[in-house]
Amino acid sequence: MNSSGIPMVRTLTVVSLLCGLLIVLTDVNTRGRIRHNQEIIMRESVAQLLPGIQKQIIYSIEPSGDLTISTGLQGDGPRLFAGYDAGGRFLGVVIEAAERGYADVISAMYAYDPDKKVITGFKVIDMKETPGLGNRIGSDPEFTSNFKSLDASEGHPIATVKHGTKKNPWEIDAISGATISSRAVGRMLDASVKSTAPVIAHNLDRIKRGD
Amino acid sequence: MSEPLSCHPAPPPETTDRPFLNGLWRQNPVFVMVLGMCPTLAITNSVRNALAMGLATTFVMVCSNGMISLIRKLIPKQVRIATYIAIIATWVTVVDYLVKAISIDVYKALGAYIPLIVSNCLVLERPEAYAGKKPVGKSLLDGLGMGLGFAFALTCLGTVREVLGAGTFLGVPLFGKDFEPWVLFLLPPGGFIALAMWLLTFTLWRERKEKIRRQAQQAELRQALEVIL
Repeated sequence: MNSSGIPMVRTLTVVSLLCGLLIVLTDVNTRGRIRHNQEIIMRESVAQLLPGIQKQIIYSIEPSGDLTISTGLQGDGPRLFAGYDAGGRFLGVVIEAAERGYADVISAMYAYDPDKKVITGFKVIDMKETPGLGNRIGSDPEFTSNFKSLDASEGHPIATVKHGTKKNPWEIDAISGATISSRAVGRMLDASVKSTAPVIAHNLDRIKRGD
Repeated sequence: MSEPLSCHPAPPPETTDRPFLNGLWRQNPVFVMVLGMCPTLAITNSVRNALAMGLATTFVMVCSNGMISLIRKLIPKQVRIATYIAIIATWVTVVDYLVKAISIDVYKALGAYIPLIVSNCLVLERPEAYAGKKPVGKSLLDGLGMGLGFAFALTCLGTVREVLGAGTFLGVPLFGKDFEPWVLFLLPPGGFIALAMWLLTFTLWRERKEKIRRQAQQAELRQALEVIL
């Protein structure tokens, strides 16, 4: 390398190190607060998805298919939030799910009634979909009305169909102009129900008792 | 050589001793320099989105301008763009973390837009045109002025689009139930139409002001000549 290249390498190295340090410092100092805020968002979302909820129990799904009670939101495994009213009556479960969308991974939660095998609510937790188009999956009232009673029973996959062509209770009517994001929601729910519903069915009595 | 054709009048010369006002008004990034068109057109479909994007961009511009100005004498010319991009991307990441940590409500409003700041050419243009050559204080003021000027322009566009396209301002309904929203203004063509309307208004206003200034100068000159003669 000739002598004129050294200042360039030196500058880029120092700037990269400084930038990396700045990001790491910010991450270290904000991680606790971010986790705390995420926990608040999660609890609020569960309360919105299961109206009348007074008590919730968080279960972690083990790779073996067993459920263990979790005290917080630590760990990365999929979680179930079982909701109960003031009298201890079981209201349903809220399940975390994620799927690759148009821009990045879409994280969401949905309410599932294991007795009727229907999805009764859907809420986006985090996404980076295009503002004004894809991000309407979290706010468009017409789209969210798909999840008031979406059939999630075995035998037919949950699928997103073109806007205005929904015919069956297990179909999701896509948002016009946001087809990729709408389809991602369909794939997300289908995969999540297929993997989680058997675990819930297997442990339903225990979940209803809340132990 | 003849002057190149331009679709908009050339911006007025920069007044270096007033960096804040330059960015805010005289060299407004959107209405005068026509920079940062991607976020300007993409996310001005509501006033709230426009304000959120404008303020987040302001923060990134102030921080990146300040840091670049501080180390400007150590940056070789050949690697300046790479250095600027690394610094800007760092500050965008920092803002993303900070907003997530500070307030859930602000994050809900801003979250989707923060990563888009990296793609805004205005944020890269200011270090190249100003902060890479000027002292820290002036560079910070330049970042603040340009950022707030950008936020102002975005809010102007957002206001027209939200009022006409949804009949609301900051989500508050302005008209009765009989109002039929002009949905076109919420869609991409509406962004171009609203931008064209604002650019036309701003350019006509500026030309008129310039004409008045020239007439005043000529009158002064005439008076001075009369006194001399």
